[in-house]
Amino acid sequence: MKYITGLLLVAALCGCETVQPWERGTLAKAEMQWQPDTMEGVMRAQIHASKEASSGGTGAAGGGCGCN
Amino acid sequence: MAAYDKTGKKQDERNATLLALTSSALLLPAYQAAQADAPPEYTELGIRYSKYAEDDIPGRRAFGGGSERYDIDVAQFHLLAPVADSWSVALDVQWEDMSGASPWFVGESPNGDPKVIMSGASIEDSRTEVSVTTRYYFDRGNAGFNYTNSEEDDYDSDAFSLDGSFNSADGMRTYSAAISASDDQIEPTQGSVPTNTLKDSKDIRSAWVGVSQIISKRAIVRFGLSYTYREGFLTDPYKSRDNRPDEREEWTLGAGYRRFFEDHDAALHVDYRYFDDDWDVTSHTLDVAWYQNLSNDIQLVPFARYYTQDAAEFFDVVADTSQEYYADDYRLSTFGAFTYGLRGNKTIGNWTLNATAERYKSDEAYGLYSGDDAPGLVDFWRYSVGVNYVFK
Amino acid sequence: MRVEHSFKAMGGPCRIRLDAEDESMARSAISAAVAEVERLESKFSRYREDSLTARINRAAGSGEPIPVDAETVALLNYADTAWRESAGLFDLTSGVLRRAWDFKSGCLPHADALNALLPLVDWSLVRWQEGAVSLAREGMEIDFGGCVKEYAADSAAAKLREHGAACALVDLAGDMAATGAPAGQAGWPIGIRHPLEREQAIANVSLSGGGLASSGDYERCMLIEGERYGHILHPHTGWPVRGLIAVSILAPQCLVAGSSATIAMLKPAEEALGWLQELGLPWFAIDRQLSCHGNIAAG
Repeated sequence: MKYITGLLLVAALCGCETVQPWERGTLAKAEMQWQPDTMEGVMRAQIHASKEASSGGTGAAGGGCGCN
Repeated sequence: MAAYDKTGKKQDERNATLLALTSSALLLPAYQAAQADAPPEYTELGIRYSKYAEDDIPGRRAFGGGSERYDIDVAQFHLLAPVADSWSVALDVQWEDMSGASPWFVGESPNGDPKVIMSGASIEDSRTEVSVTTRYYFDRGNAGFNYTNSEEDDYDSDAFSLDGSFNSADGMRTYSAAISASDDQIEPTQGSVPTNTLKDSKDIRSAWVGVSQIISKRAIVRFGLSYTYREGFLTDPYKSRDNRPDEREEWTLGAGYRRFFEDHDAALHVDYRYFDDDWDVTSHTLDVAWYQNLSNDIQLVPFARYYTQDAAEFFDVVADTSQEYYADDYRLSTFGAFTYGLRGNKTIGNWTLNATAERYKSDEAYGLYSGDDAPGLVDFWRYSVGVNYVFK
Repeated sequence: MRVEHSFKAMGGPCRIRLDAEDESMARSAISAAVAEVERLESKFSRYREDSLTARINRAAGSGEPIPVDAETVALLNYADTAWRESAGLFDLTSGVLRRAWDFKSGCLPHADALNALLPLVDWSLVRWQEGAVSLAREGMEIDFGGCVKEYAADSAAAKLREHGAACALVDLAGDMAATGAPAGQAGWPIGIRHPLEREQAIANVSLSGGGLASSGDYERCMLIEGERYGHILHPHTGWPVRGLIAVSILAPQCLVAGSSATIAMLKPAEEALGWLQELGLPWFAIDRQLSCHGNIAAG
């Protein structure tokens, strides 16, 4: 799995056309952000962490809570 | 209107003179400004109310007949405001109010089927989380500092984190990193069930690195790697047959992809996370969402999630308390879970209304790993409604 | 709604057009863009006593370096790239040759006068390091005019974008930079002027991003004994070049379009046409026989 992810990473970082700053309008759209809805992101992370053994992955882990 | 060749050529096919002129030109500030990180232009404010209700546990899975589980109400407040030219500050507050029963331990019924003993009397708890982030924006990136306090009757957590993002000279790639530390205090409320401790603490240290890369005018990809170290009282204080190691090391590998489809005026989100820890838990998570813009400023977002995990090495459906470590917590079992849901956003002037419904179903049979079926596995519905306002 | 603003800068008529829903946003974006053009003009104009260019030129030959900022260093580096890529044709020190040529007089310059100026045209005598620039020979002059108007068009467009403009066109006396296309159109429609009939378009292009720059040798010239002497002077000979009479280029940056057009004008016609073809940018050129060339069609 790590190997495959590594390969994907190398492939993705190499074969890219240069996108000029003024051509980045689409990428700047709200729906193209990593997390367009902050509150939704916080809520889902919290729910999943309280029901599953895994958490984190999109940043450094925060503090815990009594739910897990 | 005359036609002309667009320079749709790949960079390596381009003329060397043009390449030299272009790369030299791009170092001028006019071409840097467009990619400079900047604070949000306007102050944004949002409030949201969510309710999620865990399905009742059926009689065949619990001693003493079927039982209700948790009902949780959540209120959220979000404020993000630019400060001066290059700073922003964000305040996020979340109140949770939960009531109901949760699994106390799993025992074997006379016919050999494992069944859950619920905590019986209704548990009431509330949690308040306050999170403050200040962020500084500079030409090539931004850096943030966050403090989060989470407080419950029986749990208090203080966490700090630092994060930064740095863009490559051409703005095509962004390197990010974050570190965090938290100090958590556990003081179980004495009442309905005997607890595993009277007062204890745990510490969490975590680091994350990520890189995102623009791959075309309409697609971007991100990879991330995180490490988290937990130390202290990691046992669930309210479960009678629960004794966990006092250390845990976790690793995650993540990948994300965003692509915009002009023909459909829609964006595709795909996120994957691989998780592994030294308790032998391994999991895969796949999130997919489709952000469909419609006329009249309406956006519909159908989304789906698949999650599968392998059990912790000390997990047993019925805990073996003769071992050094043991647990019957369904959250450490082998299972899979499907989520599907729909979110709608409607913008009217400076206001955006939103509503979400999602269904979460978990089962041992949904998983990619094989293991024993924990009777305490949970399903739930979640509903959210909210409103956001932008001070334009 | 469309907001338009005309003003005078960089020695010519300028105009910004912007489509926006919010007029106050449009107005503040435009004033930021105009301020940016004025900032660059007052910094780089050689006609202004207090400009950086004037100070550098006054110190020529004195050995005293003039401190400059990162933007100026980047512009010098760019000019250096253009000089190297054009084998010395693009040379910001060639402006001194104008001292020998008076196009209004109808007289050719004296050979001695021209020969005396030639040693002052040498880009390799411009030194810049550690944030300071100096001209090695007394009497030398640097003239950013060969690239600053194009750069200002790009920079003004960047300012408009920064202020939230999604659809705007900057026109600095023919050097243009666009950001976004007007609703329902592929781009801003722009006519390339006919060299003789000034009110008539000889070709049309549409610009939705990047820049368009043109260079022409038909506006200022003199006829002596039937021979046409244009105002574009070869930096090595000091005499007017006899190449193309007009070149227009589209490029992701107006700056690159402008210097490419300048280089093409300085080359002999045949060589210039081949060079433009190889460059790979959309281009349009007119030769001395008024034939049209390029991958932008005439008409």
